[in-house]
Amino acid sequence: MPQVPIIMPQLGESIAEAKIIRLNIAMGDSVVADQEIIEVETNKAMMGVTTLCGGTVTEIRAEEGVEYAVGSLLGILEATEEEISRTGAPTIGEQAEPELLDEGEEGEEGNLHFRQTEQSYEEPKLVEPSVRGLPVPAGMKGAHYISPRMRARMDELGLREADISAIAGSGAGGRVTVEDLEQFLEYISDWPDSAASPMRLAVADAMRRSWSRPLASVGLPVVLDPVLEHRSRQNPKPGLTLYVLRAFAIALSEQPATAGFLIGEKVVHPRAYDIGIAVQVEDGVVVPVLRNVDQLRVPELAEEYGQLVRKARNRKLTPEQAQGGIATVTNFGTFGLKWGTPIPLPNETLILGLAAGIKQPRWSEEVGAFVPVTETEICLTFDHRVVDGGGAGLLLQRIGTLLQAPEKL
Amino acid sequence: MSATYIDAIHQAQRELLAERDDVFLYGQDIGGFGGAFKATKGLLEEFPGRVMDSPISEDAMVGMAIGAAISGMRPIVEMQFADFSSIAFNQIANHAGTHYYRTGIPVPITVRLPCGGTPGSGPFHSQMVETLYAHYPGIIVATPATVSDAYHLLKESVEIDDPVVFCEHKFLYRWLKTSEIDPEPLPLGMARITRPGKHATVVTYSAMVHEAVRAADRLAKEGWEIEVVDLRSVKPLDMDTVIASVARTGRLLALGEGFPWGGVTAEVVSRVVAEGFHLLDAPPLRLNSKDTPIPYHPDLWAAHRPTPESILEKLRELLNL
Amino acid sequence: MESSAASAPIISGRLDTDLIRRTLRVMIISRTLEAKLSSLYKAGKIVGGVYLGTGQEAFSASLGCCLNQEKDIFAPLIRDQAGRTGFGEPLIEATRTYLGSALGPMRGRDGNIHRGRPAERRPAMISHLGTSVSLVAGMLIARRMKGELAEVVGATCVGDGATSTGAFHEGLNLAAVEKLPIVVLVADNQFAYSTPRERQFACENLVDRARGYGVTGREVDATNLFECLAVVHEAVKAARAGEGPQMVVGKLLRLCGHGEHDDASYVAPELKDSKLGRDCLEIGIQQVVDEGLATSDEVDLWKSEAAEEVQEAVANAQTDPAPDPYQDDWQAFSSKGINS
Repeated sequence: MPQVPIIMPQLGESIAEAKIIRLNIAMGDSVVADQEIIEVETNKAMMGVTTLCGGTVTEIRAEEGVEYAVGSLLGILEATEEEISRTGAPTIGEQAEPELLDEGEEGEEGNLHFRQTEQSYEEPKLVEPSVRGLPVPAGMKGAHYISPRMRARMDELGLREADISAIAGSGAGGRVTVEDLEQFLEYISDWPDSAASPMRLAVADAMRRSWSRPLASVGLPVVLDPVLEHRSRQNPKPGLTLYVLRAFAIALSEQPATAGFLIGEKVVHPRAYDIGIAVQVEDGVVVPVLRNVDQLRVPELAEEYGQLVRKARNRKLTPEQAQGGIATVTNFGTFGLKWGTPIPLPNETLILGLAAGIKQPRWSEEVGAFVPVTETEICLTFDHRVVDGGGAGLLLQRIGTLLQAPEKL
Repeated sequence: MSATYIDAIHQAQRELLAERDDVFLYGQDIGGFGGAFKATKGLLEEFPGRVMDSPISEDAMVGMAIGAAISGMRPIVEMQFADFSSIAFNQIANHAGTHYYRTGIPVPITVRLPCGGTPGSGPFHSQMVETLYAHYPGIIVATPATVSDAYHLLKESVEIDDPVVFCEHKFLYRWLKTSEIDPEPLPLGMARITRPGKHATVVTYSAMVHEAVRAADRLAKEGWEIEVVDLRSVKPLDMDTVIASVARTGRLLALGEGFPWGGVTAEVVSRVVAEGFHLLDAPPLRLNSKDTPIPYHPDLWAAHRPTPESILEKLRELLNL
Repeated sequence: MESSAASAPIISGRLDTDLIRRTLRVMIISRTLEAKLSSLYKAGKIVGGVYLGTGQEAFSASLGCCLNQEKDIFAPLIRDQAGRTGFGEPLIEATRTYLGSALGPMRGRDGNIHRGRPAERRPAMISHLGTSVSLVAGMLIARRMKGELAEVVGATCVGDGATSTGAFHEGLNLAAVEKLPIVVLVADNQFAYSTPRERQFACENLVDRARGYGVTGREVDATNLFECLAVVHEAVKAARAGEGPQMVVGKLLRLCGHGEHDDASYVAPELKDSKLGRDCLEIGIQQVVDEGLATSDEVDLWKSEAAEEVQEAVANAQTDPAPDPYQDDWQAFSSKGINS
């Protein structure tokens, strides 16, 4: 049979407790609804506690002369289902009995102040304490989200985002945490190491900044024999790179937007076609810049070119001589490489790579047979924000064409 | 022998009256009646003439206390409910709060504010007002969460030469008890690490400390260790303890029962971001009551203020950020 | 409620002659100082505002001079320069506060009439009207609890506008409940800033309210020095004798703007020409000379002495150091080590 609580009521807004003066009921008594069953004395007045419905008294918890807090369970009635439905009285189980909470005591689950019968909150999302098993964090945040705390620790250690890409994060969404970082540093602390040179650090910094852009690379095979033949007839012989440099400058001057630089909503165009040459030096690369390459011809550029490269190798370049370029040519073919994807300088949109020239047979319609040609690959890496694959391809095609008429360069 | 929060307040006042001749109590229904919450029960009989019933004149009650305080007394004013202190706001904020800076004469008054919600108390008997008074210069705002703090902070408040607004949470009056008063109290102005942890910090005060601990206990079952900082006083605000905690955990939830626009939790977040941005692993979050008057029905009321469930939810959000 | 006193000087004898002469001197000093303050304001030397008590000197000075400077409490409002001087506030405190001197009682942290020395029973008013009533009540209750209330009177002044505030009502009711020896002067000066009294309250006479509070009410023609002294003296005496709170309503016209920024053009000429618009200082001098309590020469001497005293107070305050924002401790708490 349903049980109905007899509760110490809130007899006035500022009343926190009331004293039982007299119990007008005994165990087993039958009561009707709204019957005054307990006389109580509050700070302000004498009052009666009434029943919520009719029924039988099955439990009396209150004692005469004792003060009870508002909401205290004073006793229990048993009532019929019909009586409950007629009066709408709450039954035990629906209404919680308030309890005193000890400090530090492990309390019941739920709201400290009031037990909610219905939770209005969404089903809570469970958080996995860690995400492990991937070599690289795979979440949306992953190594890309660096919290202010992580950033501060990295700054303290002189680390960049690229430095922590090796760490599998254990934080929210696979994020790398300070703790992960410390563990990683601990892990590598036993490995042999050496100090990076200033040149290495400078290149690293430039490449990191460059890499923040969407870079793409394309390549085109080019027959070098006309250039090699022309070069062999000159005295002194200009460097192969100089021909490419010259063709590159002419092609750019015909399509200036290709060498533009995107700043906000503007494309900044070149003021002059000054092209850099990547020169490998010990533990790094330096890039002297040859001026007005579009306006001077190869023989006129040769001496300046030779001097700049020599100075670069001897580390004698002035800062001005390495500034102001709009694009760079790198001849990685000198290392026998067949192709590459060089990275433009952070302040340039383009870099043109020249691979090794390789002798190979090519079918000649004129001769009606395979003839030997020297072929190379010219590789262009570009900032895809500024240039598209088509633009890059046209530029390469134009350079290839220009290189077939070296006497005009 | 156990003591409830209201017992502690009663006991502190009794001892203050016994120990200091300059202490007296002033408020509505506090004399023979013993106060709406019985915080002064029996004290008039024990200390005749020093426990005085006031007219329903909150402004004049505090004005009178200021006058007595600058004449060498240490009055304790009981507001029947913190909500009604709005009537005395001018005297507290503009008169007591400015007095020392203007004249060099401190105003050692303590204004006791029974604050916070209980089921069914409705819009005008439930409010948290610590933010209002903390905003004004020259007023100390104590917000005890434990029985021992209620006792010690009240005694300390009366000893302090400056005006103290003493926010005692009505819900804790009889629902919180302790077996003994902590014999070694922290001084006012120092926060307490109620529960140590390492994954996130909850900075809170008053009754919300207990709700935060409950939420933290539940997350502990999932392997999360949540640190709970009890500010104890919102002014002074112990940023050293808060910052040290955030330095340990990297995540902050500022939790308060007051309304959400501005306030103590906003102040905590603002200071942590300004002073400890480099310590944060995630944006700091706040959780307050809703931006409506406090509703009457217990179910509406329970959903209006932060609960262990909503705190838990917020903590999950914080841990996911 | 008791009826108004007659216009003749009912206080007689040597001591009373001294009181009358001193009160008139105080009025002269106050009028002279305030004229100078107005001039300094109009010369750009005083910032914020200057609030004068022109026309209220007899009423205010009567209270200041009837109080015991050694033990009584006096909480003035904005038009009580005369009362302040009568209660012993040095002129230099007025000039230093108006000029923002670092050496004044408020050290540049508060200005103009918001000044006082609470430790010397001269509370520093706040701008919120009516708050001083409960404040003085508290100062008296403290003395009562310490057994030091004997022979002490607490006094405060308000205007007709302040009687509309809740604070005034709460404070006076509280003082009445506690049966405190408090004297509350209400200067019914016809305007609260520009608001005429008919927009301020609906009762015919403010003194009628005294009965409602259960306090003794008196009404006085506040343009009449002798009458002011007689009635205020009586009220102070009654309070001192344990007869509970005393309210005195003075009927007069503010003979200046709300502040010196206000030309009071809203005051009708008929009102200025009425009995209320008479200058209490002129009347006071006439009364004192007519009764043979001082000669015209003496009054002239007092005026020139007042001019010198005022000049000295202004000159000294002007050479004082200004408060230094880099030296201010910016501490609103007296307790050390409290950081907000």
